[in-house]
Amino acid sequence: MTKNSVVATLFRFQSVFGLLAVVVAAIIFSPRKNGAILFVSADNLANVVRAVSEIGIIAVGMTFVILIGGIDLSVGAMLGLAAVGSAVLMVESDWGFLPSVLLVLVIGLVFGALQGAATAMIGIQSFIVTLAGLQIARGLARIWSDGQGVAIAYGDGPNEAPASFALLGERTFGGLVPIPVLIFAVVAVAAIVFLRVSAFSRHLYAVGGNEKAARLSGVPVVRVKVAVFAICGLLAALAGIVHAVQLNQGSPNDGIGYELDAIAAVVIGGTSLAGGRGSVAGTVAGALLLGVLNNILALNNIDSNIQLLIKGLVIVAAAALQRLRPAS
Amino acid sequence: MGGALVRMVGIGKRYGGVQACRAIDFTLGAGEVHALLGENGAGKSTLMRILSGDVTDYDGQIEIDGTPVGFSGPPDAQAAGIAMIHQELDLVPGLSVADNIFLGRELRTPLRTVDRRRMEGSARALLARSGVRLDPRRPVGELRVGEQQLVTIAKAISLDARVLIMDEPTSALTTAEVERLFDVIRELRRAGVGIVYISHRMEEIAQIADRATVLRNGEVVTSFDPRALSTAEVVEAMVGRPVQTMFTTAETDTGAEVLRVESLKLTARRPRPGRRDPDGISLTVRAGEIVGLAGLLGAGRTELLETLYGVAPRGAVEGRIFLQGKEIRPRSPRQALAHGIGLVPEDRRTSGLVLFHSILANTVVSSLPAYGRLGVIARRQERAASVGMAERMRLKFGRLQDEVGTLSGGNQQKVVFGRMLLTEPRLLLLDEPTRGVDVGAKAEIYRLLGELAGQGLGVLLASSELPELVGVCDRVVVLRDGRDVASFSTANSGEGELLAAAMGELQ
Ligand SMILES: Nc1ncnc2c1ncn2[C@@H]1O[C@H](COP(=O)(O)OP(=O)(O)OP(=O)(O)O)[C@@H](O)[C@H]1O
Ligand SMILES: [Mg+2]
Repeated sequence: MTKNSVVATLFRFQSVFGLLAVVVAAIIFSPRKNGAILFVSADNLANVVRAVSEIGIIAVGMTFVILIGGIDLSVGAMLGLAAVGSAVLMVESDWGFLPSVLLVLVIGLVFGALQGAATAMIGIQSFIVTLAGLQIARGLARIWSDGQGVAIAYGDGPNEAPASFALLGERTFGGLVPIPVLIFAVVAVAAIVFLRVSAFSRHLYAVGGNEKAARLSGVPVVRVKVAVFAICGLLAALAGIVHAVQLNQGSPNDGIGYELDAIAAVVIGGTSLAGGRGSVAGTVAGALLLGVLNNILALNNIDSNIQLLIKGLVIVAAAALQRLRPAS
Repeated sequence: MGGALVRMVGIGKRYGGVQACRAIDFTLGAGEVHALLGENGAGKSTLMRILSGDVTDYDGQIEIDGTPVGFSGPPDAQAAGIAMIHQELDLVPGLSVADNIFLGRELRTPLRTVDRRRMEGSARALLARSGVRLDPRRPVGELRVGEQQLVTIAKAISLDARVLIMDEPTSALTTAEVERLFDVIRELRRAGVGIVYISHRMEEIAQIADRATVLRNGEVVTSFDPRALSTAEVVEAMVGRPVQTMFTTAETDTGAEVLRVESLKLTARRPRPGRRDPDGISLTVRAGEIVGLAGLLGAGRTELLETLYGVAPRGAVEGRIFLQGKEIRPRSPRQALAHGIGLVPEDRRTSGLVLFHSILANTVVSSLPAYGRLGVIARRQERAASVGMAERMRLKFGRLQDEVGTLSGGNQQKVVFGRMLLTEPRLLLLDEPTRGVDVGAKAEIYRLLGELAGQGLGVLLASSELPELVGVCDRVVVLRDGRDVASFSTANSGEGELLAAAMGELQ
């Protein structure tokens, strides 16, 4: 291996190395109790990943959008809308588990597809379309919930959600792995595999890399854009369902600012905001990195304002590293 | 020559595993036009980018007027009187022609605001000097490649440089425009400017150059007086072996009609200035036939191809298009490709390639469904297709995973070309397919075209190179102002008649 290819590899897996570095730092700076390192306790690790799962699911969808050179600002609001939808349908409308979840997912899918169609066919920039989408989704959530948070209680009676829904918040594999984490893992792996093997992914990267060239090469640009925004909306709705079950409520104010955390995870993961370059694996590493950072700062009782500062610095550092990346 | 204006000694430059320049010595005198020749990837652009301060880490020395220099960047070189017209155009698409020409050295009013009026006036005068009529207020992004080339030339001239490097300035210009450019070059030569002229058009070298240097694989192979050698000898020096450059179409039996266009006319809903949409064009292409499209810049060659390929601006289309006897009206490239129509666009960098994606990804993007099933790519097949295409096109590359943007200009062109062949089209639309391609590779592409035509492919070839049209095509249709004004069989007419028809001197 030449020196150049070592450097190239370092940069290629920059987010993974970044994650490792943060984990090592977390172990060193972790508070200890009776000699045991609190950070690496099974419970704490499960919590870290659990806390990451919602942003992680959203960030996977966001990666797709950013890969085609777009941005989706509506995902946080969509998460809120989906959480409200799940709660209202199951608690107030007495819908079953499956129909409720399916309807919510379809809402996310259609909402995303409409945003994709607006950018692709009318040619408005996705930043603007999804900025409008953010307002609309938030407004819909307020209307649907009468502006109130809807608490979720479980049981068979009226105004109670089916107990099967509560299972989504449980743990599996001998009580080790929270189900939200499992969902995140499945979504991430599916996305990684999809981007590796599908012909569609080639089209997606081509659209992000050079839209005009992609169109002249026969890539169905409109279809790619609509599909990508639909996937992103669907995943945001899925994250909203997970959110509702984790907090036992659906509130129209859920998920405010989540879009920015998701974008941060994607950027730390090495995906270029200009499109055409990046990976879901990087995004997963980026989301975990942010989660570990939050966790270790919280474990050490660092002031939450300082936490924000540190997070900001990490994002800048990640972006700066990408500027240093060698040409090829 | 004691008083060399530029002396480059022992210049070397390495890119990863590629030695782009190897111990090159190069001199340029005042008032000299020095042609730099070589195959695609020989290192011509790299050498000149070193001289113009664009590439700063290299081995060897550069002297200007006998004083050693080391430029930190292009502005530094410009201050020393060196200007370069880059092979790949480097204009800002969103800015107007005038703004581009004066980018970074805008003219000011006494109030220090930008003096648009004066800039537009000067730009108009500069353009007029090279015989170009172009509104300086038009955004550059709307211009055709050839027009953009004229703008860069005007910009370079306006720098009043002592050393002017022209890296394939004419690759998208037609004969008439080239003639005017040569007048300007002669004028500059008289004024004592040293000019480095890079081109793959052999006939230009004998016309304009005082001296020529040939590079091969990053080394100087020979230096000579271009008037003393024949084209065949020059080409042999470039390639290292004799090459059959003259392409003569075998008398193919032309088959059934592949394409018939009847009075095609497009009225764009929002007409754009400078676009010449088809205004009543009729022509046919038969299986096995290569039909050329001639015409001056702005005659509507590109627009015709775009209309056939389904990428013309929206508007009312009159007339009819038949593909193998069936009427079609492609509304997108995807539909056109589904009908078996392929297009190699004029500007490979903006319309052809994703420069930072791999050679592999760029070659197969149009033919993906062919490799694999149910939307899953079969990597082995895809690779095989890409390797096969690279061999067929004699692509010069390192690995298929390399970014396509690191290939030399001509090799990038081959990737775009090869991509379309992989879609196995019945009708191939080519817009300046050999722009920036070296003689050897050109001969290769012509041979390939002949072979494909022999297999029943119909080809419609728009080119600004008359020798190419006359040499390669069976028939040439001349366009002027969006109409077909003449049609020649190349068996019994030559470049002169084509040019006359294109310029409107012949009815
Ligand atoms: N930025 C770069 N990174 C890596 N390799 C490069 C880069 N620029 C040039 N090369 C390599 O250097 C060699 C010389 O390239 P150069 O562009 O100088 O060729 P050229 O003679 O101008 O060819 P052409 O006639 O096609 O323009 C080529 O093999 C090319 O792939
Ligand atoms: Mg070059």
